[in-house]
Formats: sequence, C-alpha cells, structure tokens
Amino acid sequence: MTHGLIPGKVSQSNRHLAPREPVPAKAWGHVATRFNMLFGVLCVLLFFVGSAYAEVPNAVPPKGDHDGKHVEQPIDFPHDIHARDNKINCMYCHTYARRGLVAGIPPTSKCMGCHTVIATDKPRIKKLAEYWEKGESPKWKKVHDLPDFVHFNHEKHLNRFIFNNEGMEVERADEVCAFCHGEVKEMTVARKVKPLTMGFCRQCHEDNNGPSDCWKCHK
Amino acid sequence: MSTYKVKRRDFLKITGLTGASAALAACDMPTTVTLEEGEEEVVSYLMPEEYVIPGIGVWYASTCQQCDAGCGIIGRVREGRVLKLEGNPVSPINKGALCQIGQAALQVHYNPDRLKQPKLRQEGKLIDVTWDDAFAALKSSIGPDSGLDGSRIAWLTGTVSGHQRVLMDAVSEAVGGASHYAHETLNDTVVDKVNADVYGSANVQYKIADAQSILSFGADFLSTWGSPVHNSVQYGQFRDAPRGVLIQAEPKMTVTGGSADLWLPVRPGTEGTLAMTIAAELVASHGADATKLPKAMADQLGQYSLDSSEAQTGVAASLVKQAANFLATRAPSLVIAGGTAAAHEHGYEAVTAAAMLNVLLGNVGKTIIPVADFPYPALAPKKGDTAQLAAFAKKAKAGDISVALIAGTNPAYTAPDQLDMAAALSAVKVKVAFTEFLDETSSMADIVLPLHSDMESWGTHVASYQVADPMISLQQPLMEPLYAETRSLGDTLLDVLKLYNAEQYGPFADYYAYLRNVVSAVPAVAKEGASDEAYWQAGLQQGMLKVTAPKPFPAAIATAANDDASDALVKSADTMGFVLPVYEKNKDYPLSLIPAASSRLGDGRFANLPWLQEAPDAITKIVWNSWVEMHPATALYYGFKQGDFVEVASAEGSVKAQIYLHKGINKDAVAVPMGQGHTEYGRYATGRGVNPLKMLATTSDVQTGELALCATRVTVVSTGRNEELVKMGGSESQVGRKLVGTITADQLRRV
Ligand code: SF4
Repeated sequence: MTHGLIPGKVSQSNRHLAPREPVPAKAWGHVATRFNMLFGVLCVLLFFVGSAYAEVPNAVPPKGDHDGKHVEQPIDFPHDIHARDNKINCMYCHTYARRGLVAGIPPTSKCMGCHTVIATDKPRIKKLAEYWEKGESPKWKKVHDLPDFVHFNHEKHLNRFIFNNEGMEVERADEVCAFCHGEVKEMTVARKVKPLTMGFCRQCHEDNNGPSDCWKCHK
Repeated sequence: MSTYKVKRRDFLKITGLTGASAALAACDMPTTVTLEEGEEEVVSYLMPEEYVIPGIGVWYASTCQQCDAGCGIIGRVREGRVLKLEGNPVSPINKGALCQIGQAALQVHYNPDRLKQPKLRQEGKLIDVTWDDAFAALKSSIGPDSGLDGSRIAWLTGTVSGHQRVLMDAVSEAVGGASHYAHETLNDTVVDKVNADVYGSANVQYKIADAQSILSFGADFLSTWGSPVHNSVQYGQFRDAPRGVLIQAEPKMTVTGGSADLWLPVRPGTEGTLAMTIAAELVASHGADATKLPKAMADQLGQYSLDSSEAQTGVAASLVKQAANFLATRAPSLVIAGGTAAAHEHGYEAVTAAAMLNVLLGNVGKTIIPVADFPYPALAPKKGDTAQLAAFAKKAKAGDISVALIAGTNPAYTAPDQLDMAAALSAVKVKVAFTEFLDETSSMADIVLPLHSDMESWGTHVASYQVADPMISLQQPLMEPLYAETRSLGDTLLDVLKLYNAEQYGPFADYYAYLRNVVSAVPAVAKEGASDEAYWQAGLQQGMLKVTAPKPFPAAIATAANDDASDALVKSADTMGFVLPVYEKNKDYPLSLIPAASSRLGDGRFANLPWLQEAPDAITKIVWNSWVEMHPATALYYGFKQGDFVEVASAEGSVKAQIYLHKGINKDAVAVPMGQGHTEYGRYATGRGVNPLKMLATTSDVQTGELALCATRVTVVSTGRNEELVKMGGSESQVGRKLVGTITADQLRRV
C-alpha cells in the first residue's frame, strides 16, 4: 500500500517525507497556551454571571441566522448519526478545536480508527476505505470560513464557554459549538446557518463581555 | 533490503488543512479564495503525527546551506509548509542567531523562478523534458556505456563537504578518474595558507570573545568573512564589560568597519606595511620582544617608521600610534586578516605580517588557536577558490574536458572576462548543470537537472570554519518537494553510482537511506552509549551529529602556543624573503577598484532573492541597485557629485553606475559592490545594476596563485547624467539638529 501525501499527487517515495523529529518542545515552551488559559480565567472573572435564558451557563448565545446552501461533499458525512444517535462528542473528531486556531477536519486515520470494524459494509464507508487504501484524504468542501483578516481562535472560545466555564459539562460541548455552527447534530453534512459576520461576532462579544479591541481579531 | 519498507514514522502525512490547501498540490494551480460555502476545498491530514495541530507550527532542525559557515537552523512547519527559519539555539556555531541571508533561504525555496522541469539542449535551445529523459542523457554522457575516458570528466562545484562530497568523489572514481575543481569568488585560500605556514594548521579558531582588543585587516568578520554569525555572537560578548576595543584597517568601510572604535582607511595593497609599522611601534614604544619574530622580519622592522609609512598607507601616524597603544594595553589582543587585505598581488605577505602581530603580542594559543584538521578527511570541506577555476578553464580550453558536471557555482557570472569562461565552457562538449535556477552558467548547459531546494533535501555538511569540537551538521527536509520533476543532488549522485556499482549502491532506495546507513556505521564509541536509533533521532533533533576523536595538535603548533616562533613560521618568512609591495601610482588608472563583498547579495548568488535586494546595504542604504562608492575629497578632485552616473573603467572592462559619496573609503579607492548585473538569473536579478567582477585584471597573489580581487586599477569618467540615488534614509547627517544626542567616545570615557 503506498500513500500519496498530497491529494492529487502521489509521492515518488515515502523516504522523501519531510521532516522527522521536531525540536524538543521544551525549548519553545507553550507560552501561548498558558496565556490563553490565563485569558480564559480572566474572562470568567469579568463575566456578568447568570443570564436568564442561556442553557449554557454564563453565556448569551449569539443571535442571527443564515440560510446556507446545501453543499455537495465527496462523502455524505452524517453528523446526525455520529453526534445525535451515537452521542459522540464534537471534540472527539474535531480534536484540534480545543488546542488551536482551527477545529480541523479529522484526519482520515481517525475515521478509520472506528471504521475498520464498524459499518464496513455501508457504501459511504466503502468509499472512505477506498480513499484510505489510495493513501488520500477526501477533498471536502469548505462550509464555514472567515476572511483572512479575521483571526478567530477556537481554543479561546472553547476555554471560555466550556473548560473555564463553571457549571458547564464538557459532555454538552455541542451546545457551545452550536452557537456558531447551528444544530450540526441534526444535519448530515454541515450547512452554514449562522451569518458569521462582524456584527454577529461583535454582538456576542458585547453580550458576553468578550474583548472589544480591534486587534484581538484583526491582527 | 526492500525499497518501500514503510514504517509508521515514515508515514508522516503532510497535507494542508486550510482553504489554500489546493495550492499545496501544485504551487501554480489557481486557488479559490472565497467565503462562499462549498467553493474552497479543505483537505484533512491522512495520518498526522500526534504533535501536529493545524495552525500551530512545529519546529524542525536542519542546517543553513546559504554559505559554508553551516549555521544550525530551525524551521517552523505548519500545514506541511515551512514558513519561517530561525537560528538553532543548540548549534555551537550560531547559538540561535541567523543572518539575513540565512533567513532568505525560504525565498530560494519558494522562488517563482525555480526550475520545475529538466531541460535538454536540442538544436541550440533548452527544451523541457522529463526527469527520466534528462537522466538518460546524463547516463549516455557519463554512464558506463558512454565509452568516455573518465579523466575527461570534471566536476566544477562550489565548496562542498559531507556526504555530497563523498558521493561526488565516488562518482569521480567510478567514471575513472574525473577531476574536481571547486570555485568560490570569496574564499580564504590565502589566509588558510598563511595560517598553515605561521600557526602550523590551516584551521584556526579566532577567540573573539576572549580578546580585549581586536585589530582586523580587511576581514569583515561580522558580515561577509569567516563564520559571520558565530563571530557576531562572540562579538557581543567581546563588547560586554569590560568593553573590548575594535580596530579595523580596510580601504572600504564594511559592516565590521562601521562598528569599529578606530577605523583606519588603509590604501589598498598596503595592509602589510601598516601591520609592520604597528609591529615596529609595538617594539619601539611598548617593549614588545622582536626576537619572537622570524629573523627576516625582525631585521626589516627598522624600515617601518610611523612617518614613512603614512605616505605609503595613507593612515595618519597618530592613528597608528593609537592602534598600537590599544593592542599593547588591552591584552589579550587578537589580529585577524583576510578579505580585502588578502586580495592583492602580495596578499600572502600582508596576511603574514598581520599574523606576526599575533606572535609578537603573544596571542597564539590564547585568542588564536590552531586546531587539528577535521577527523574524517573524506567529509571535510573541499574549499573553492578562483585558482581552481582558472585551472579548469585552462584544461577546458586545451580541449581536455569533454563533460563538465557543474553544481553550486556560477563562473560565467563571477569569473573576470579575462578568464574567458565563455570560451572555456564552449570548449566542453557536454555541460551538465545541477541547479535550482537558470543562471548565466546553467543557461549555457546542455543538460539541466533541477534540484530540490535546501528545504527539501537531506544532507550532511562540515562547516569550513570549525568553531568547537568537530561535528557534522545535518540537513533534513523541512517539507515535501514542491515539484514532481526535481531531485536532490544526493539522490542524483546515488543514481549515477548505481549505474556503475549496483551491488554497493543498489540497496539504498535514496539518499536518505544512504545517510541513515552511514550513521548506523558510525562506531559505537562515537555514539557514547546511545543506541543507533537514539543517536540518529538526537542528531535530527539537534541538527548535528557529534563526532569525537579530535587528533592531538601537531608539534609545531605546541611550540607556537608557547609564544615562540614555530619552525614552519620561521621557514616561511625566511624563504619568501618577505617583500612588501610599495604603493605605485598609476597615471592612466589612478584609483584602486574594490569589488566589495556584499552582506546581502554575497558574490551575486543571492541577487534573485527579493528580501535581500530590498534590504538596504548596511553602509550606503541603497536598495535594488549598484553604486560606485567614492570619498567626497576624491569626488571633489574629479568634479563628481552624489548621484552622478559615471563609468568606472579598467584596462579590462568597464561598468556604469551612480556615485555614492562616503567618507568611509580610502581616497585612492572606489568600491563597486558585487552581486548585481546579472544577465540571466530570474526576474528579480536580471538586468539590475552592474557586475564589477567582469572587469577585474587577472592579477594573482604571488604565493598562492589566487585571484587578487582588489588589485585592479581603474579610472572614473563622468557620463554627464545625474539622478537621485534610490536608497532608504534621505539624509546622511542630522544637519546640526541634534535629533539624536551623541557624544564622542573621548567624552564618554571622561564621564
Ligand atoms: S552565515 Fe551562512 S550559514 Fe550562517 S545563517 Fe548566514 S548564510 Fe546561513
């Protein structure tokens, strides 16, 4: 089995794969992470506690809707089966959300972690396995996007609304994700249902005492 | 050994995770940038390492390949792309620092002018072909069936070391005795010879941090000479309290000269005289012991009085006295010579005279330490110089070279017209260029094999200047190759070797496999108890492999270290009779031309990197162009103004550029920086400025035969045109407005 590294391109040899061992992390310390946590704590301290109608504690969900179109994906990924029926936490697959700027499409190896044994006879899984055998990842179509001049950080928002949020259980993460992504667990492939405009962000920052400096987002 | 034994580690998948990820597959593909749903593609990793998080960079160690100083680098890799380079903090060479040229290595990698497709010359034109076709052409030229006498094949490279050199040598041997000429315009051939003769070893460590005063003759050690980043780190310590004093003697102010406390604008070619005058002054006024010097030199000291020397060197007697005073009172001192001081007909003598100051001042073994050669000679750098290029040209013109394998050098641009490289190269039937770009030389080639960039290649290197215990610098790819039809030099060399010796080289799938195997073969004692895998992984993490087993110093050095003149030293000074040249005026060509080494463009190889083009020159602040640096007094004499277009002409050629007036240059010299004036080197370099190297006379240093870069005399004539110079910083002075408060060093000392 050979594995192309980049979709559409089969590498000549796996030996060419760039690089092997990173510089030990200690030399470069995750200063940023610590800063993020501090920031999160600070937000909680500053937060106006108890809004009447929020299901997520200490949070006023952002307002606004968007009627996004259905996007054809290479595999008709059923969010509903995963998140609703099987109650898989969003962050189980979108594992980067709590660790970085982007939530990330799960690596294909993650899908195969379950689907080498589960539902292997289903057409969608067969299609997935085909990709895997070829050493490629599906070319998903992007649904949620922000302009390049907007700096959005998943990690900070998750810290604020889940991990550093008193009374919030991590099991209910999907309710926080839904602030910006809608009820994804009721969808198959994701559809954009929130406007994700500057007004949308600003309103939420105001309601939740988020930072209001221009450079927080435009840096 | 199976060729495709995939280990989990090898399985590292680097695919993008951003909207621009489509661009990863092929750089030139148009990408969609839109916020609209379903328009952009987003591709996940296939099987990432645990520590890979999209949006967060991971740093990998490698080695800078922009020059032979071999600084350690770390590169930030994000979503499969290398984005930023920094110095590797654990490298003993650069200790976390990196020069601007090193930073710009990224622009080599991402350069839009990089070759993406091999080329073959057909009916006089270079035509794009596949790698297989190009390699087949190479095979028919130098392969076992070519029927060619191997001695008619020649390597023409830059400085090479490590296993690239090992494989080049192996190819030379396999084809049946090919010769290898290494060419570098900026080289230390003269200095190395002096070091070998005076200190007993060509390899010398300059302990800048340990010195209290430094006198440098022409060696721009903070920017273009030696191991500049290493020197700069040391220089920082040297300037820490108690603050060391730096004296720089050179005809044109360099970056180092600009940092000096005392700058001596010595007339080009009289550096030796200045050194001897300082020696005489040390003996006369500071009680230095002349018997430490070889007799031939000690006997001559009497001829160098402060006043007679002033007429020769153009440096005021009072300044020479001051310099001698600094050196005598701030021990240990250190005298360095190189660069412009060595670039004359009697450069060897000038550098020797400077080295003698170290002997006289008792610096040998303290601030200047001769060290043993690299313990593995097969990996040691094969250092380039112009003498070897001249030898190549001679052999080629005699019709004795049928195939030239050219890598890492661009003689068609750097060689003086007098060497007639065009004729030499045309006399070679098949020219094979291993290169990332089409430059003046590779565009003359018959087979052009595009290389991986340094960000995409494996390699091992041995720095030309060994700063500490011997070590091998490790280069690892920081990302996937951008283009499908490029190969690394190591891989290509291996492929050639497989044609000759499938049994020995066949088992190596590629250059990585070869290097990994070589490291396995490193004796266990050198690994100091670590397992083979641990030794390799540590090497990758640190970007270097420690190789122990330094040899003891040769006996001659042990003597020199005791302050006595070594036998070798006495012999060299006595046998050459030690004659220093007398500065002669030349009526037709009254000025000396300094083709100045550029701290941005080097010898011209970095001219295609826009970051370096747009970075202002440290002294003149000029960007994107060439200039003629001239002393205001000289300009007044000839009637030139700032911005005048002038023609600088030698007997061998001429260039046209604008005058830049600066007091930091000797009045009998003009300087034109190297690096511009490319006729073929991509969109950023071509057709910009002028190349002073072309008009050099082929005068050589008598003792070493190396091209004397600063020995050309020129005349400057006006073209009648004047335009504003394009430079950063409008005004050279504060026009008395005291925008920045300053006091003189003297005043400071009194505070
Ligand atoms: S001195 Fe040379 S090796 Fe070091 S960073 Fe600069 S270019 Fe790279």
